[in-house]
Amino acid sequence: MPGKWDWLKDELRASGMASAAPLVLRFIGGRLRGPDNLVKCALCPNMCRHACPVGIVDGRETTSPAGKARVALFLRQGRLQATRENASPLYACLSCDACSVWCPFGFSVADLLRPVKEKTAGGVGFKEFREVFENLEKHGYVYGEPKPSDSGSRTGDLLYLRGCTLREKHPDMSGKAERVFQHLGYRSFTIDETCCGMPAYNLGNTSLFRKLARKQAEKIGSSGARTIVASCPSCVYAYRVLYPKYGVEVKPEVYHVAEFLEDRLKGLKGEGSVVVHNPCKLAVGLGKPQVIWKILSSVEGLTVKEPRRSGRETFCCGHGGSAVPRLNPELARRIAMERGVELTEEAEIIVTACPTCKQAFQSNGFKALDVVELVHILLGGEQCSR
Amino acid sequence: MTSRGADVKPGCAIPPAALERLKGLLGERFSTVDADLLSYSHDYWPISLRWVLKGSFPWLPSAVAWPENSFEVQEIVKIAYGNNVPVYAFGGGSGVLGGAVPEKGGIVVDLKRMRSIRLNEEDMVAEAEAGVNGYYLEKYLNSKGYTLGHIPQSLYVSTVGGWVATKATGQFSTKYGGIEDMVLGLEAVLPWGSNVIMKPHPRTSTGPDLRSLFIGSEGVFGIVTRAWLKTCLLPEERILLSYVSETFQDALESVRRVLRRGARPAVVRVYDETETKRHFYMFEEAYGRVVTVIIVEGDSKIAGAERRIVEEEFRGRMLGEEPVKHWLETRFMVKEASEFTPLGVVFDTIEVSVSWSRATSLYRRLVEAVRTVKGTLFVSAHASHFYPQGVCFYFTFAGVPKGDPEKYYNEVWSVAMKTTVENGGSISHHHGVGRQRRSWLKEELEAGFELLKKVKTAVDDKGLMNPGNMGL
Ligand SMILES: Cc1cc2nc3c(=O)[nH]c(=O)nc-3n(C[C@H](O)[C@H](O)[C@H](O)COP(=O)(O)OP(=O)(O)OC[C@H]3O[C@@H](n4cnc5c(N)ncnc54)[C@H](O)[C@@H]3O)c2cc1C
Ligand code: SF4
Ligand code: SF4
Repeated sequence: MPGKWDWLKDELRASGMASAAPLVLRFIGGRLRGPDNLVKCALCPNMCRHACPVGIVDGRETTSPAGKARVALFLRQGRLQATRENASPLYACLSCDACSVWCPFGFSVADLLRPVKEKTAGGVGFKEFREVFENLEKHGYVYGEPKPSDSGSRTGDLLYLRGCTLREKHPDMSGKAERVFQHLGYRSFTIDETCCGMPAYNLGNTSLFRKLARKQAEKIGSSGARTIVASCPSCVYAYRVLYPKYGVEVKPEVYHVAEFLEDRLKGLKGEGSVVVHNPCKLAVGLGKPQVIWKILSSVEGLTVKEPRRSGRETFCCGHGGSAVPRLNPELARRIAMERGVELTEEAEIIVTACPTCKQAFQSNGFKALDVVELVHILLGGEQCSR
Repeated sequence: MTSRGADVKPGCAIPPAALERLKGLLGERFSTVDADLLSYSHDYWPISLRWVLKGSFPWLPSAVAWPENSFEVQEIVKIAYGNNVPVYAFGGGSGVLGGAVPEKGGIVVDLKRMRSIRLNEEDMVAEAEAGVNGYYLEKYLNSKGYTLGHIPQSLYVSTVGGWVATKATGQFSTKYGGIEDMVLGLEAVLPWGSNVIMKPHPRTSTGPDLRSLFIGSEGVFGIVTRAWLKTCLLPEERILLSYVSETFQDALESVRRVLRRGARPAVVRVYDETETKRHFYMFEEAYGRVVTVIIVEGDSKIAGAERRIVEEEFRGRMLGEEPVKHWLETRFMVKEASEFTPLGVVFDTIEVSVSWSRATSLYRRLVEAVRTVKGTLFVSAHASHFYPQGVCFYFTFAGVPKGDPEKYYNEVWSVAMKTTVENGGSISHHHGVGRQRRSWLKEELEAGFELLKKVKTAVDDKGLMNPGNMGL
């Protein structure tokens, strides 16, 4: 079979231009890597704009996917000064990776921007982020000093990693998860966990991310757990995808709670309708766009709906990536509203599998349940308020 | 160093009182921040992409506005009119001819915050604000069982307002038509800030069609704020067909015969030998020959009849569904400018239309003419849009000039436009005129250009709407 670039070699030969285009020949011969990825993205016509929640809802070129890459390029080139105003567009990103689903190069803009955030824009010192870094440094907890809480049993055969948002915003979910695990024959326990480090990573502070990762990995390791399940898909993404890249190992593999429940739940019965919201890190980051849907559709009598943008083509709740809700809460709210309205055209109750998504929808007046809560209800835990 | 790191200043200062009024009207949705000004100083015109690469821009806007409704657009335009400040409508910035570049400074009005959609299923009409993203609209319609049938390659990027303003057309145009066939009604803001609505009737006979003042107007007569668009039922059946022919001419002639009999496949694309090698290299039997991909779709009874007509009329070897599936999978893979511009390659596409009787000679002469420009690496084409009367050729060229890249680029454009006019073609089939083609519009329209200029002066008496665009 002819090769991908044979046509161009033929053309260069026929036009007698081969010697005039040495860079092209080296590039198509695989001997030149070509421009760096940030440059490629900056020169793209924005072929993922339609999928980017910020691009669509904010509607500005400056914060569109390629637009952010251009701003990053101008900052890197020194053509734009790293003022707060000029650097802000780099943080108008939810780290949802929706761009990577459509990108012909497979890029995630969040990844392309991170080095510029670290090197150039990091110096801007957004006060909104300083507090996060201080909290993480001091308490290993994104919200400051953790409230004293009933952290559940300290011994068992399944380590349940709750994550910062569940601990802070939905502490009752811990007990519900414990009962669901019990139903499946596991005795879950919790530890005095440290933040997985994702907020630091998202905000461009990779040295703090590494520090937290090492600390949390050590805590998980010393728990002796043989089965580990986490509530938050972003944490799981950190443990499974990012930690290895930074030389940190977590053993055994951490499962997201929806992955864990997927093949274990049997014989559940329910009624009414729900609509699925796929968290970005579960659907795109971990490549598991069907798990919530599979769990719910195994429930006899429950009608499960999917929104217009479903599967891997999900749409962020607006509160991912740590930066947007802090720097531009109004944009975060508008994205949550956009998604919430789209979802509730299908059914009143949104089922997701991420404490942050649940929080984003609930705080904007929508009824949202984590899949664990729904299972808990179906197991007779409490009445579903429909 | 200024904070934009260049010595360029916006071409037109907005008086302080006007700035205050605009800020009062729009708050956060009005900006003079450098990052915003740089972001709106280019579109997808290859010349302006080189500015991005270098980080240096000859033309900057003075401010950017993001209105959320027609009232706000009217107010912005009124303030601009009262203060003699130019205004540029901006959609997705995917225009490839510099049509949205703020050449004289002034206010860029980005319509993308105006994105409501309403569908009237009984009338089969979608009402969309100008900033609605193309994919967003199509996905919405699909979820209700409809399609617009307007699928340009820039679907993910471009906006409804941009489509109307450039008289865009999509990959499925042979069945569904160009945007001009879909626009039933329009709302626009005129250069002095008033609003006009051209109502969405099925047809009217009420004087000259005012919609056509805005369809293809590229922002020079006002700002389109809303469109009422015809929709179709989602196709019940989709039939994928492909052929390999020995020559470009054979394949074109086959398509002509199909259309003459009244069949309207949605997609028809005929690739010349070079482009067949480029896009279909994995189909060995086609390598160096001519591939045609065809999609017939719609009600299954009608589609079945159209399929039979294609099969009866097409003279070539059938290649089956795979090349069409390959085309469907790769048709939005836009990588070339990103990969090759930084390597010093000058690259662009030029689309022209021509009647059947002059089609092959125009194709051949244009290819020959571009090859004569020193530095050219290749020039190739496919026929991308078809009519019973003629065809659109979509040429691609690339070169590595020794001297000034812009000089080479303009030289290629110049020979291509000259050859098109001399061979009875139209200088643009769907990308429009913008700033790259403006010096050729007069050649094309002849006396019509003077008429167009008079219309411009009458509608935009101060010459503030996208000044310089289209040579107006
Ligand atoms: C990868 C790629 C593929 C493409 N494929 C196609 C294709 O298949 N078919 C096709 O026809 N074109 C294609 N184009 C060209 C381009 O996408 C179209 O011209 C498109 O219609 C431009 O829409 P936009 O919203 O991006 O407009 P912009 O680029 O923002 O603006 C284009 C022009 O219209 C004016 N304008 C924009 N919005 C308004 C408004 N609301 N009121 C008045 N004037 C306005 C601007 O001032 C400017 O002059 C392609 C471009 C790219 C980069
Ligand atoms: S990661 Fe998400 S928010 Fe950021 S650019 Fe990509 S799609 Fe947009
Ligand atoms: S992420 Fe990919 S598709 Fe999106 S703008 Fe960048 S290069 Fe284009």
